[in-house]
Amino acid sequence: MIRREAPDAVADRAIVVTALIKRYGELDAVAGITFSVPRGTVFGLLGRNGAGKTTTLECCIGIGRPTAGSVRVLGLDPTKRRELSALRPRIGVQLQATSLPEKANVREVLELYAAYYGIASRAAEMAERVGLDGKLDRQIAQMSGGEQQRLALALALQHDPEVLFLDEPTAGMDAFGRRILWGEVERLRDGGKTIVLTTHYIEEAERLSDRICIIQRGRIVAEAAPADLVARHGGDATVSIAADGFAPDAALQALGVWTRTGAQWKLATRGEPGLALAAVVTHANALGAKIASLDMHRPTLEDAFIAITGETIEETG
Amino acid sequence: MRLLRMFLVQTKANFVWYFRRDGEMMFWTLAMPVFFLVLFSFAFSSGPNSGSSRFLVPGIIGAQVLSSGFWGVGVMLATFREKHLLRRIYITPMPPWVFFASLVVYRMALLAAQATILVTVGALVFHVRIIGNPLSILAILLLGTATFVSLGTIIGALARTTESANNIASILTVPLAFLSDAYVPIDRFPHAVSSALRMLPSTQFIDTFRDVSVYGASLTHYGAWIGMLVLWTIAGTVISARTFRWV
Repeated sequence: MIRREAPDAVADRAIVVTALIKRYGELDAVAGITFSVPRGTVFGLLGRNGAGKTTTLECCIGIGRPTAGSVRVLGLDPTKRRELSALRPRIGVQLQATSLPEKANVREVLELYAAYYGIASRAAEMAERVGLDGKLDRQIAQMSGGEQQRLALALALQHDPEVLFLDEPTAGMDAFGRRILWGEVERLRDGGKTIVLTTHYIEEAERLSDRICIIQRGRIVAEAAPADLVARHGGDATVSIAADGFAPDAALQALGVWTRTGAQWKLATRGEPGLALAAVVTHANALGAKIASLDMHRPTLEDAFIAITGETIEETG
Repeated sequence: MRLLRMFLVQTKANFVWYFRRDGEMMFWTLAMPVFFLVLFSFAFSSGPNSGSSRFLVPGIIGAQVLSSGFWGVGVMLATFREKHLLRRIYITPMPPWVFFASLVVYRMALLAAQATILVTVGALVFHVRIIGNPLSILAILLLGTATFVSLGTIIGALARTTESANNIASILTVPLAFLSDAYVPIDRFPHAVSSALRMLPSTQFIDTFRDVSVYGASLTHYGAWIGMLVLWTIAGTVISARTFRWV
C-alpha cells in the first residue's frame, strides 16, 4: 500500500509542494516554496531565468532531490523509488532543450516511447497533432530546434498522462509552434488534465494559466489568477490626452486622479478605462478642443510583474 | 511481454541510431580491427603461417571486448548524460536494467560481427584455425564482455563530461591492449613484469580466450582466472550501480 499524506488533499490536488528547498553548494536555488495545484487546472510558474522554476519542476518529477520540504504528485512522493515508479506512467514531461539521438527519426522515437509506456504506437496521429505530419521519416539532426521541441511535446503526450510538466515549452519555438502548444494546453485542460508549466514569457503565462505563481530568487513572491494579479498589483488604468484648450470638468475629475504635464493631461483611474476614454473624447469635442494625441493603457500582467518583483522579466543588464 | 517489447525496441534503436546510420562508427567497429590484424601480422612476422596471426586474431578480438566496454558503453553513457538523453529516459517507466541490458546486447551483437570478420580474415588470409570448443569460446567471450562492460560503466558513472570519459577510456584502453597480451606477447617483458601483468583482468581474459579458441585448451584449466573475472564483474556492477547518475 502506498502511504498517503492527507487523503483530502489527494482527492482534489494533483500536486502539493510544501516548504521545498533545494540547495546547490552555498546557493539556495529554491528557498522554501509552497504551492498546490488543483486537478484539471493549469499552473504557471513565471519568473526570470535562474529564478528556480526548473529546479522546482525537477523535484516534482524525481530528477532533483529536495534538500528539505516535501513534494506529492498524485499523492505520490517522487523521492521514494516505488512511488516514483508508480508515478512515471501517469505523468508526461517536456524538458527544457530536450536532446534526442541525432540519427533517430520521428517515427522511431515515438515508437520507442510507446514501448516505454506499454501502449500502441500512435506515431502518425501524434506527429499530426504537433504539426510534424509528413515528417515521420525526418531525422532529428535535420530538424529545427522548434520542430524538436514539438516532437518533445508529442513524447510527453503520447501516453495520455494525467499530469503534464512543461519546462519552458515554447523556448526557441516560432509562432507556429507556440500556437500548436497553446492549443494543446487548452485542449488538455478542457479534457481534465493537470498542467504545470514554467515560462518567462508573460503573455504565455497569462494566456494559459488558471493560476500564476511568480518566482523570484527561489521564492514565491505572488500567487493568484492572472486577472487578480493584474487587478491587485497592476496599478491604475490611464487615459492620456493632449488637446488645445482641454481641461477636465467635474464629471471627469470624479473618474480618478488627473495630472498635467505641459499640454498632456493624464487620468489614472480604477474604473473601466474604455468608458473613461469615451467620456474624455466627448468632453474634448464639446469644448471644441482639437485632439493632438490620445492614449489609453490598461494595466497588464507585465505591470503587475514589475510592481511585484521590482524588475522586468527579461534581464536588461 | 511489455518489458520484452521495451527491450527489443530499445536494442533495435541502439543498433540503427548508433551503428547503422553512423558511418564513422561502422568504420571503427568493422574495418579498423581488420586493419590492425593485417598490419600487425606483417609487422611482427615473416609472413602468413607464422605464429603471430594465430596470436593476433584472438588478441584483437579481446582488445575489442575491452574497448567495447570502455568506449562503447562507458563513454557512450557519459555522452548520453551530457546530451541530457539519460535524464529524458529516467523519467519514463523503463526500468534501468532494461536500458543497460539493451546496451550490453547491442555491444555483444557488434562484437559477434567483429569476431566473425576477424576469424574469417584470419582463416582465409593467415590460415588461423579456431579449434576450441564453441561453447567454451562463447562462455569466456560473454564473461569478458560482462567484465569490461561493468568496469566501463564505472567510467560512465564517474566521468562528469564526455571529454573526461574519453580521456579515461583512452588512458585505459590503449596501454592495456599492449600490456595485456593482445597485440604483443608479454613474455617478451622481464618475468617479474609479465607476472605482474598477468594479474590484470584484461590479461587474464585475453590469455584464457586465446588459449581456449586457437590452442583448444579446456576452460577448466583457467578456474582461478575465471573466478577473478567473475569478481571483477561483480565489483564493477556494484560500484556502477552505486555511483551511476542519470542527471
